[in-house]
Amino acid sequence: MVIHWENIVITIIAFALLYWLLNKFAFGKLFAVMEKRRELVRGQLEEAKQTREQATVYVEEQKEALKQARQDAFEIIEQAKQSSSKQALDLLDQAKADATRMKEEAIRDIESERTKAVDALRGEIGAFSVNIASKLIEREVENNPADQEKLVDQYLKEVGSRS
Amino acid sequence: MHDAPIINLGGFNLDLSAVLMLFVSGTLVFLLCILATRRLSVENPGKLQNFMEWVVEFVQGIIGSTMDLKKGKPYVSLGLTLILFIFISNLLGLPMGFITEAHKPEMIFGHVIEATKDLANGEHAELLWWKSPTADVSVTAGLALIVFFLMNYLGLKNNRKHYLKHYVEPFPLLLPLNLIENLAKPVALAIRLYANIFAGEVLITVILKLGLVGIPFMAAWQGFSVFVGALQAYIFTILTMVYIGQMTIHEEGESH
Repeated sequence: MVIHWENIVITIIAFALLYWLLNKFAFGKLFAVMEKRRELVRGQLEEAKQTREQATVYVEEQKEALKQARQDAFEIIEQAKQSSSKQALDLLDQAKADATRMKEEAIRDIESERTKAVDALRGEIGAFSVNIASKLIEREVENNPADQEKLVDQYLKEVGSRS
Repeated sequence: MHDAPIINLGGFNLDLSAVLMLFVSGTLVFLLCILATRRLSVENPGKLQNFMEWVVEFVQGIIGSTMDLKKGKPYVSLGLTLILFIFISNLLGLPMGFITEAHKPEMIFGHVIEATKDLANGEHAELLWWKSPTADVSVTAGLALIVFFLMNYLGLKNNRKHYLKHYVEPFPLLLPLNLIENLAKPVALAIRLYANIFAGEVLITVILKLGLVGIPFMAAWQGFSVFVGALQAYIFTILTMVYIGQMTIHEEGESH
């Protein structure tokens, strides 16, 4: 083990030179890029965090919207149900009213027809009666038209009250 | 014992092996870093970039465990250079050694190699050219001296009051002991690294002499040497950071 001071000097010079060269040509760039990479990773992490938060907010919004849509649909269905039942009731009422009206009309018609028929009948019967009576009592009342009229009316009244 | 191929340049003993291996090691580290940082990408890093980032984060972890990472930021480059340089240096000696045998004074670049200068008939010297640079105590001493100067300089510059006060605590009589403690740090750094790597290479040489029988031992030892190389690089780096942290940062309530 012999120490040569010359070797020590050479080593120091060589190492200093290597240090200088590496610092100048390699390490500076490397450190800068490493710093950039660190920044990049930090930025990406930050971005991912933000994206996740946004996604959470978005999902919440979507949930809210879905809930709203469900409620809307429910309301629409309810409305439809209500309106349909109302319509049915309306229709039923209408039908009832129609039926009542038609029945009344029919009754009225029948009544008027009957009145008419009774009137016509009364007239005809009157005429027939007059004919029959005139034929039967032609001779007796031939000379007294006033008695004849009186008689007929009396008879007609009897007929009318009977019918 | 192998000799180093040293030539004398007007009083300056130039160790060609150390120069060669330091050059190889430094070049490899430099190439690795340049390749790794050639196509840097923020969004789609390549394999080498990922590897380098892992190393950087590893070194940042080392620094973070010894001092406040904010204060330790300027030392990341130092730690990176140290750990890469020492690790690659430790590995260089593993795959091969390169030894020449000289029987007469050999000349290189017009200068005689010192170890072969006095070779007479029958004598020979083995010159070790390729080895781990960290298997040379002078090289590890150089690295340790860098750390030593750096930690004392940084201590004086950033933390002068407590740095100086530290030498006379808990009482002034301990000043010599504190000085020795400070001086022992680089010595321990240098010797630890040198001894581990040198011992590894010696054992490789020994196992090589076993011939074919030694192959399983060699495999095991090579694997272990890679582990030791990484471990020593890690230890050297973390101790450097611990020392710098001790010297430069005064924590409140701490009794130095």
